[in-house]
Amino acid sequence: MLATFPDQQLTVRHLGGVRWGLLASAILLALIGLATIHSASSELALDYLPKQALRIVLGLVAFAIAFSLDYQVLAKFSVPIYAAAMFLLVLVLVIGSEAGGARSWLRVGAAQLQPSDIAKLATILLLARYLAGINRRFVRIPQILAACGITALPVLLVALERDLGGAAMFVPILAGMLLVSGVRWRVLVAGALVLLVLGALVWNFAMLDYQRTRVKTFLSPGSDPLNAGYQLQQSKIAVGSGMLIGRGYMQGTQSQLRFLPARHTDFIFAVLAEEWGFLGVLAVLVLFSSYIMNGFAVALRARDRTAILLVVGFLSLVSFHVVYNTAMVVGLVPITGIPLPFLSYGGSFIVANFIAAGLILGIDFRRYVNR
Amino acid sequence: MEVREHRDDLVRRLPALRLVFLIVVALIASCYWLVQVVHGTFYRERAENNRLRKAAIQAPRGLIYDRHGRLLVENIPSYRLLFDRSRSADFDASIRFASQVLDRPADDLQRVLERARGASVYKPVLLAEDLALAQVARFSVEALEHPEFEIDVEHLRLYRHGPTTAHVLGYLGEATDRELQLAAGELGAGDLVGRRGIESRRDSYLRGRDGERVVVVDSRGRLREEYGNRQAFSGRDLQLALDLDLQEEAARYFENRVGAAIALDPRNGEILAFASSPSYNPNVFARRLDRDQWQNIVEAPNDPLQNRAVQNTYSPGSVFKIVVAVAGLEEAVVNEKDRVFCRGATRIYNRRFRCWKAAGHGSVNLHQAIRESCDVFFYHLGQKLGIEKIAHYARLFGLGGTTGIDLEGEKRGLVPDLEWSLKARGEPWYPGETISVAIGQGPLLVTPLQMASLMAVFANGGYRIEPHLVARDGTAPRREVAVGRASLEVVRKALWAVVNDRGTGASARLRNVDIAGKTGTVQVVEQKAWIDSSELPFEKRDHAWFGSFAPAEDAELVVVVFVEHGGKGSEAAAPLARNLYEKYFNGADGARDLS
Repeated sequence: MLATFPDQQLTVRHLGGVRWGLLASAILLALIGLATIHSASSELALDYLPKQALRIVLGLVAFAIAFSLDYQVLAKFSVPIYAAAMFLLVLVLVIGSEAGGARSWLRVGAAQLQPSDIAKLATILLLARYLAGINRRFVRIPQILAACGITALPVLLVALERDLGGAAMFVPILAGMLLVSGVRWRVLVAGALVLLVLGALVWNFAMLDYQRTRVKTFLSPGSDPLNAGYQLQQSKIAVGSGMLIGRGYMQGTQSQLRFLPARHTDFIFAVLAEEWGFLGVLAVLVLFSSYIMNGFAVALRARDRTAILLVVGFLSLVSFHVVYNTAMVVGLVPITGIPLPFLSYGGSFIVANFIAAGLILGIDFRRYVNR
Repeated sequence: MEVREHRDDLVRRLPALRLVFLIVVALIASCYWLVQVVHGTFYRERAENNRLRKAAIQAPRGLIYDRHGRLLVENIPSYRLLFDRSRSADFDASIRFASQVLDRPADDLQRVLERARGASVYKPVLLAEDLALAQVARFSVEALEHPEFEIDVEHLRLYRHGPTTAHVLGYLGEATDRELQLAAGELGAGDLVGRRGIESRRDSYLRGRDGERVVVVDSRGRLREEYGNRQAFSGRDLQLALDLDLQEEAARYFENRVGAAIALDPRNGEILAFASSPSYNPNVFARRLDRDQWQNIVEAPNDPLQNRAVQNTYSPGSVFKIVVAVAGLEEAVVNEKDRVFCRGATRIYNRRFRCWKAAGHGSVNLHQAIRESCDVFFYHLGQKLGIEKIAHYARLFGLGGTTGIDLEGEKRGLVPDLEWSLKARGEPWYPGETISVAIGQGPLLVTPLQMASLMAVFANGGYRIEPHLVARDGTAPRREVAVGRASLEVVRKALWAVVNDRGTGASARLRNVDIAGKTGTVQVVEQKAWIDSSELPFEKRDHAWFGSFAPAEDAELVVVVFVEHGGKGSEAAAPLARNLYEKYFNGADGARDLS
């Protein structure tokens, strides 16, 4: 696919101009994650490190493949890709395995696959293609509704898996891409109101007790100290006790004493904060910012609408995960199962993140070629 | 192109978005600054005080009673001393204190701790078990000075009657990895599960469910918060059909003997006494066994862990003649009047078969042949029947199959026939073997429990019962045996004569109870001549059987006694049966009224 456009051949020369800083940040983050996972799981019967290392390698391979794919061709096939992703979401409802109250995993041989991670990428692809075709200064309301429709299907399916956090992650993707493709501010405000009403409906009719408890706990942490409140409290203690320079690698009492639940997945950042202190937190936030800034740079110099929208979609996905997860660990937002990109233990998520990175850099690579 | 023109619209809002992201990240970073740097000391202190303890609340296991409600197994509290290294301010002082209270040398305690090295510093180490109450009190009083010590209560299983009931009750042992997997979360590492006996068979019934206490204690061991308890549910109690008096009597008899005895109610299969000797003390398993104790049990002579009543098989000897007798009557190859002349031996298939009585019994009919256990009579009867017929009736009476008792590891025994011979031995059946089987020798093998179940059929007028140790409400299932009542009656009468009318079982006789029974003596080594077994070395002496029931007319109790290398059935086995009947019918407590 490198040679789809005969008028201007891509050469090795073009590789130098690509925003490699984005990949470097991603790899650094993944390595930090690896070290932290080792620390968080060494007290357990089995160390998660080798498995995660393998996944990072897999992620890099996925990166290379994504990088070599032409996003225009991908956009052309976005409908079947989307359909396939939706099929997987339905499949997981039927034969998926359960973990932590959510039925969101597919077992593929020895590997576990979370189809919602694939669905996120597929949705971004389809949204980018659809919104790119609109090509006006402001998007009209029927078109907004159509975009909402594209997003609503996976949201609904993921919500049916009882993975509300995962379902919620589609919303910022849609919001970011709509915003960039030109929504009037007043429409945005109206949309926010609609979401609020929808939220109230979901709260009352669609949410399960434990999910409601989580939100309530967040609003008043004393109400359920045993479960969600406990998690929040322990996470905050872990973060706070890290102080400026941290307790040192593998020295965190919170994590080593197993006070922290899900410390190798959703709360990996708390382990890091405890062991490396504020300086460690800052370093990781800087790396994430570097990733996002490099991404913005790619979007700013991309030449066509599809490319820009794709990059914005990926950046929304990654940045929202980062913001929500780090905010959750320090107790700013309710606890829900949102992993931290590149750092959290988990197979399909880290691969999906590397695919997104590959696609972004692939877009950058082709910026003189595609139009 | 259009695309180019509208590209700028898209890019317009990007810098704003980028700014929003940076602001949000900065906000989050400042939040971390607040929590980690500004309030860091506060959280660091809380982390220090944060000691989460999860303690299992042990669910007491169900108690086990005998049929009269007498306690057989109970749980007794045992106090254990735990030592938490992370809370000890001065390690040597801690050890000195413990050594003084426990009255054990400090080196000794050091060694215990060294063995636990490598485990997490935060996990308390088991320092001593079985503390006296005074010691528990000392540690409680000094709790402020020595927060590193913790007292833990554990319930130990106490088998009140030790070896007497060991083969019935079994004992407890730590769950194996496999059991943990099978239990799927119901068991935790280190949990005890039943081994052997009722403890094993009714494990889940007795077990109950452990609870859990989650508490957060501060660095000095003071309780700070309690994160909810999961209640423990104790196991259910169990009542056995066993009669402790009879059980003790049987155990006493076997003190210096090897073998098994079973007393059961032929009407419903309830087992009142169930002894296997030698036995072991199940209480030594209550605590983690050390290698020596285990070795002692395993290497003890005659394997005390073996339950001889259900796990060992033996030749039934002459007791089997009652099966052959019924077979003969049912197949009409013999009637009550037929006589055979016994001159101490007979020649069949060109081989000489000896009767146990060298002088011979003279002319005997079926009744007399059973009463005096004449071998020659049964040699000829066996020859007429053939092995297939004998095997058929043996199986009708439940031999060659399990009885269904509520214990594990029950053996099926062996009822040989033509097919078995070809399949298992790869050679044809020799007619001469049929002659041996007819008097209960040869390849025929039974368990003592099967013999009890066989006697029950004659005792209750033709029903196979399911022997069981756990008391049941309502009637027990029983199966009619497809043989004529008349044949059973003929044998039953002869069995009465065995004990009461100059028969071989006279030593079992009681004045006021009509006992019916059959003796059996099993040759262990082939003897060329008539030699009294008691003159042989122990391991070559005959095995002794006595199968019986009483009252003969309307039986309430079946007693089967088997003594390995005991010699003659009449001398070695029948007396115990008599003792048991005596206890049962004329018990000192006057429980039975024989009006």
